[in-house]
Amino acid sequence: MRDQMNDHKWSEFLKSMDRREFIRTSVAAGALVMAPRVVSAEAKDAYRLGLLLPVTGTGANYADGAIKAVTNAVADINDNGGFLGKHPIEIEYRDTHTKPDVTAREARDLISRAKVQTVVGTYSSACALALQEIIHENKVLHLAATSNSSKIVNENFTPYTYQFCPNSRMQSGSVAVALATLAKDRKWKQYVTIGQDYEWGRQTQAGFVRAFGERAAGVKLTKDLWFKLGETNFASYISAIMSEKPDFAFGAIAGKDNRTFMQQAQAAGMFKTIPYPGGLISVTELQQQAKSLVRGMIGLARCPFFAHLEEPLMQKYIKMHRAKHGEAAYPTDWACMHYDAIYGLQQSIDKAGTIETEAVKAALKGATLKTCRGTHTFRECNNQLDIPAGYVGEVKDHPDYPFPIYDLDTMIVVKAEEVWVPTCEEVKKLQKQRA
Amino acid sequence: MSLEPNFLFTQLLAGLSRAMILFLLSSGLSLIFGVMNILNFAHATFWLFGGYLTYSLFQALGGEGILMLVLAIILGSAAMAVFGFVCERLLIRRMYDRELPEQLLLTFALVLIFGDLIKIIWGVEDRAVFLGIEPLQMFDTFVNPYYFVIITVGVAVAAGLWWFLQRSHYGKIVRAAVYNRDMVSALGIRIPLIYAGVFALGVGIAAFAAGVFLPLMPMALGVDISIIVECFAVVVIGGFGSILGTFVASILVGVVYAFSVLFWPDGALAVVFLIVILVLIWRPWGLFGTEMRF
Repeated sequence: MRDQMNDHKWSEFLKSMDRREFIRTSVAAGALVMAPRVVSAEAKDAYRLGLLLPVTGTGANYADGAIKAVTNAVADINDNGGFLGKHPIEIEYRDTHTKPDVTAREARDLISRAKVQTVVGTYSSACALALQEIIHENKVLHLAATSNSSKIVNENFTPYTYQFCPNSRMQSGSVAVALATLAKDRKWKQYVTIGQDYEWGRQTQAGFVRAFGERAAGVKLTKDLWFKLGETNFASYISAIMSEKPDFAFGAIAGKDNRTFMQQAQAAGMFKTIPYPGGLISVTELQQQAKSLVRGMIGLARCPFFAHLEEPLMQKYIKMHRAKHGEAAYPTDWACMHYDAIYGLQQSIDKAGTIETEAVKAALKGATLKTCRGTHTFRECNNQLDIPAGYVGEVKDHPDYPFPIYDLDTMIVVKAEEVWVPTCEEVKKLQKQRA
Repeated sequence: MSLEPNFLFTQLLAGLSRAMILFLLSSGLSLIFGVMNILNFAHATFWLFGGYLTYSLFQALGGEGILMLVLAIILGSAAMAVFGFVCERLLIRRMYDRELPEQLLLTFALVLIFGDLIKIIWGVEDRAVFLGIEPLQMFDTFVNPYYFVIITVGVAVAAGLWWFLQRSHYGKIVRAAVYNRDMVSALGIRIPLIYAGVFALGVGIAAFAAGVFLPLMPMALGVDISIIVECFAVVVIGGFGSILGTFVASILVGVVYAFSVLFWPDGALAVVFLIVILVLIWRPWGLFGTEMRF
């Protein structure tokens, strides 16, 4: 495949795909927004699904795949008549702009005017936390499949939220497990962290520092750097990291900022002297930075398709994604998790035998779902799906793909139970009391 | 933390590169305000649009090589300058006699419109140019050689703008128009064309800056909103309308920010805005601005 489609063609392919897809999605979303009153009068049994993801701001790059996945999954289910074969799904899409205030405003509108029964989203954890207050107040289901602050299922828990993504504690814990082994092998003594200065970045960094400290007590954190979301120039941060001469640097960076940081850190020579293991290198980064990613770098992914090629649902998602967006288009981590969210909702509605929200919520509680990552169960005390906490692997070229993937022979997949809050008693202590 | 001279040097270099990035972006903003009294909130959005356009031109030219990138930058800047000229003639000129809030409303509308245009034309994915820049080994550490390119370009643009405004015939007319528009008009010089030309120059410089940044950072939706805040800080410190002030303020902000990251990382941005507050209290028209402009 590499012979047939080089990096440039791959980039060209992505461009043309986005333009077409964007226009198609916009028209579809626009039509849905313009026509809800007409449609609702005719389709009383429709299931209204709110989709809150950004096409603006630092999360837009990841949300693209997620929007495609939700659209594809909904089209697939609607081809069979919708939920339970008789409730066609209508998507109400809103752009969060990756801002909590916009998210809150749009969520209220989705619930009060568009009458959605479930909200899928968001990208940013800060947005998700704002959204949770609204969905709890209005008793609407919330499926989180990208935003993953551990507060979503712990401190800010609501029984209406279900988490399809490893939370930030699990994610950073998985890196800690992998890096503790490396630290021992390489006799590391000190490290620095750099992160996005907002909810997810702070949670991820704190989770890593705690989990890593438990496993590698002798390795000291000497500096933590924070930058504002949307930073464009990391030169000062990179030289500050280099001046610290750490044995490694840990990054709590996602989205566009992650790409900018890695691009600038590489050109500034940081990766020549300081390992940067465990930074987020999802399928999005692997595809978009196919040329520039340093081979051998150790990255972290949340739901990489190549880790579960044997799973029937993953095969289905890949087939569906490629059929819809072209042979070379593989679903990103964000796409896979959103496919799981929609099909997970379908499985719960099938189990409940109704689309009534409280019944679906009850069916989701502690449910065991078939996902692209295998069969997994929601934790009773906080609705966290027990999917793998993280995939830590070495970036390596593969003959089957026009972009690098992780070395499948050495990739570490960390189980949820290894790194999440150990007991439900501890979880309950964290959870706030809600009315 | 290591305070060895080589790391202080790289921090200084990082600060200067940040300074020149800010200058390249802020100079057009300052120039437009200084001459036309228009506070163009959409300036960074034009910068972003210019970056996307340059990216497309670069891809159309083959997508490889520094020469092709230079050509794409020139073409992109020229196209955006033409756009700036048309934009001034169609929209901005209607705002000269309006109050500041109305100017801000119009230019903010342009931010939204051009943000959506970018989505429609280029989609939501980031666009970056990969030149395969290899780090340069200097003084027992590594630096990004592209910092030198940014610093050189920033200084060259500053010198060019100074020459244009202080030495060229057209620049003298522009300066005269700032002080006495009616008198310049009475001499038979068409003021509207002067204004349109200045706006075109400001937008052209912004697009040029975006093209220069492309190998350093991806163009992405929302970056314009993030960066315009720092540009306003620079222009406020330097003084609206003063190119020299913008240059000095850029260096001040860039270097202070870089060393704040080194010594007090949590307060880096706060330090910059502390300077803005002090300037606003002590000298509201900025370090190099004039009270007339205030």
